[in-house]
Amino acid sequence: MTGGHTPSQHAPKRTDAVIVGAGAAGNLFAAVLAEAGKSVLVFDPGPAWKTGDLYSSSIWSRRLRWGGPAVESAGANPFGAGFNMGWGTGGAALHHYGTWPRLMPADFTMKSDFGKGLDWPIGYDDLRPFYDRVQEEVGVSGDAEAEVWRPAGAPYPLPPLQQFAQARLLQRGFHAQGMKTAPSPMAILSQDYKGRPACLYDGWCDAGCPIGALANPLVTYHPRAVKAGARFVNGAHVTQLIPGKTPRQAAGVEYIDSTGATRTAHADMVILAASTVSNPAILLNSTGGDWSRGAGNGSGLVGRYFMTHSIASVYGFFDGEETENYMGVTGAQATNMDHYGKQSLGGGAFGSLQWQLAPTMKPNDLLGVAMARADLFGADLTAFMERAVHHLAVMFGFGEGLPMLENRVELSERSGPGGMKTPRVVHSFAPESVKLSDMAAKLGLGIIKAGGASEPWAGPMATAHMMGGTIMGSDPRTSVTDSFGRSHDIDNLVIAGPGLFPTAGAMNPNFTNHALALRGAEHIAARWLS
Amino acid sequence: MQIEPAFDAHRPDGTGPNRRTLLKAAALGLFAFNVAGVEALISPAEARTRGAALSILSANEAALLEAFGEALVPGARAAGIAHFVDANLARPHHDSLLTARYLDVLPPHDAFYKAGLAALDGASRAVLGAPFAQVSAAAAKPLVAAMLPGTIAPWQGPPAALFYLAVRSDAADLVYGTRAAFARMQVPYMAHIDPPGDW
Ligand SMILES: Cc1cc2nc3c(=O)[nH]c(=O)nc-3n(C[C@H](O)[C@H](O)[C@H](O)COP(=O)(O)OP(=O)(O)OC[C@H]3O[C@@H](n4cnc5c(N)ncnc54)[C@H](O)[C@@H]3O)c2cc1C
Ligand code: SF4
Repeated sequence: MTGGHTPSQHAPKRTDAVIVGAGAAGNLFAAVLAEAGKSVLVFDPGPAWKTGDLYSSSIWSRRLRWGGPAVESAGANPFGAGFNMGWGTGGAALHHYGTWPRLMPADFTMKSDFGKGLDWPIGYDDLRPFYDRVQEEVGVSGDAEAEVWRPAGAPYPLPPLQQFAQARLLQRGFHAQGMKTAPSPMAILSQDYKGRPACLYDGWCDAGCPIGALANPLVTYHPRAVKAGARFVNGAHVTQLIPGKTPRQAAGVEYIDSTGATRTAHADMVILAASTVSNPAILLNSTGGDWSRGAGNGSGLVGRYFMTHSIASVYGFFDGEETENYMGVTGAQATNMDHYGKQSLGGGAFGSLQWQLAPTMKPNDLLGVAMARADLFGADLTAFMERAVHHLAVMFGFGEGLPMLENRVELSERSGPGGMKTPRVVHSFAPESVKLSDMAAKLGLGIIKAGGASEPWAGPMATAHMMGGTIMGSDPRTSVTDSFGRSHDIDNLVIAGPGLFPTAGAMNPNFTNHALALRGAEHIAARWLS
Repeated sequence: MQIEPAFDAHRPDGTGPNRRTLLKAAALGLFAFNVAGVEALISPAEARTRGAALSILSANEAALLEAFGEALVPGARAAGIAHFVDANLARPHHDSLLTARYLDVLPPHDAFYKAGLAALDGASRAVLGAPFAQVSAAAAKPLVAAMLPGTIAPWQGPPAALFYLAVRSDAADLVYGTRAAFARMQVPYMAHIDPPGDW
């Protein structure tokens, strides 16, 4: 069978599986199901990006972000959908930073342990073999021994990435405070691996890595899916699921193609992998047949428990040193997880904290040097820039956001493609999460000062990553899917992506996303084949 | 149907461009400006110097945006901020390169820029007694400084902080985000794939 990009007018009307979203989870599902011999059709509203489209420029990288109908943000701590959502083949993972820590065992049992948040229906041990296999497949660099906090698992297949002055200077502060550091676990190649070249440390990951050193879907599961015959239809915005003969069945999906025509695709299995924001929006818009509350929404929880991480950013100058803050990778060079324990900060804070040290800073852009002091302008900004591009260092404290019923993806009053309602994300951090971020900032200021930085400051609390909204669980009354992502209500509907997470931990989600997707896809394929 | 390999940066013979190779991005990616009725693929700075026509902003709005951009990031006027923003506003939303996209500014973005500029000019006339484009940097400073904290008054438009951040970021893109700017600051650019033009 021949896979690859297919114009919508040539898309088959019926396939074994329809996958909504050609991002991280969608490509992994496509590879596994196509390799199991299933006919697979993948829809994505964005372009069929190729590695040659990944220009090294923060300005041009904005083409890679969500270009579909605007997502509204509301709540006390609004979530930045425009920054966090991907668009086109590869999804957000096309230009993600490849920081790939595993969740910790305690992240799976928060409700049992602390009476807060939720429990997962599975534990770390259930996911461990999938983490191990995914890291082997895509190539993760790191030092498992140096990561004293790391849960049990196979060592990384590659040694850690190279470090530059910024990382060395920042780690000095941690060590002076008696804290530990380790190279960040990165899905970026420190050496040539499986035909892909090693990283060059130019820090352009945010614009997408065209050489394929970073594990973006274009160089991991997408080629496998294409080789196995999966077909990709770009410019196709899926609006809703089509009900089947019974309420427990989906017949397929409706989509708007690049010409604006409404089309349908029928399939035995529907996989929703359209991101944490779009998955609930599609389900809530699917009100055909008996699905008056939306498809798969018997629990009333579709869209609920949306989570994000808080970020405490801590900056300082090392005036006598060239910090080489333009070298390295956009993610992080080193990490510390001494305060990952849910109550380890005390003082009314609750949740895990993960430090990521020394990300590359380009002079412009949202995470660039100029934004480090958004309050400066005019001659003051000019003076700041001259100093900062060579002497600034930064570290980010990622804080856990708790699963709260009231944080949600809901439908707004605005209409998008096909007249469907567009999503709105309502998000506020719990007081103990705000406390966590405040305390992280204070802790960080002490650390960076101890390392010799002058004039340290903390930026305003920001957010990153999106999780929840279609949470997994064992009880159909309190969750949307089972541990494999199968809808409790619709037998042939599977949901994929970090939207399944019942808790967020403080870890970047994509490694866990891959581990869960591999577990889910293989389970579905095995049952299907038997 | 022709299938393009998804991973096209690594050739089987190992000749690259898997190591650092400066590929020129497709000319398709460049912005076309209209100079005296003729389409030209040029930078916003050149578009400004050559008096390229504006598509979305009026001449007054462009002058105001230049003044505000210059007040935020010195150099933005000459770098062509008005032409840069105008050209992006004229593109379909999903092709826009403006940071407004990251800041969750609800489209249409032309309305956002126009309303923000009108609000700024209104505040300047009320507080400083003159249009913003005519006040000195020193006189404008307290007014601009009140935008991020949202204390600027009177203000009738999109959230002042959001407008400040969006325009400041556009200006920073042009003044600090180009190859020439990196070279000026002695920051190595190290492109895998050179962006189209110098911006
Ligand atoms: C700037 C940035 C940096 C990041 N860095 C890291 C990191 O270092 N480490 C980490 O672990 N994670 C990181 N992430 C997060 C990571 O990229 C995501 O967790 C991951 O991509 C989620 O996978 P997904 O398949 O759910 O969504 P995506 O990969 O985003 O794919 C979803 C796809 O669905 C498509 N889609 C949306 N709506 C529809 C629709 N209606 N119809 C059809 N298709 C649709 C989208 O176009 C998109 O292509 C980062 C994210 C961003 C934005
Ligand atoms: S720094 Fe490494 S991973 Fe990032 S874009 Fe460059 S080569 Fe790719």
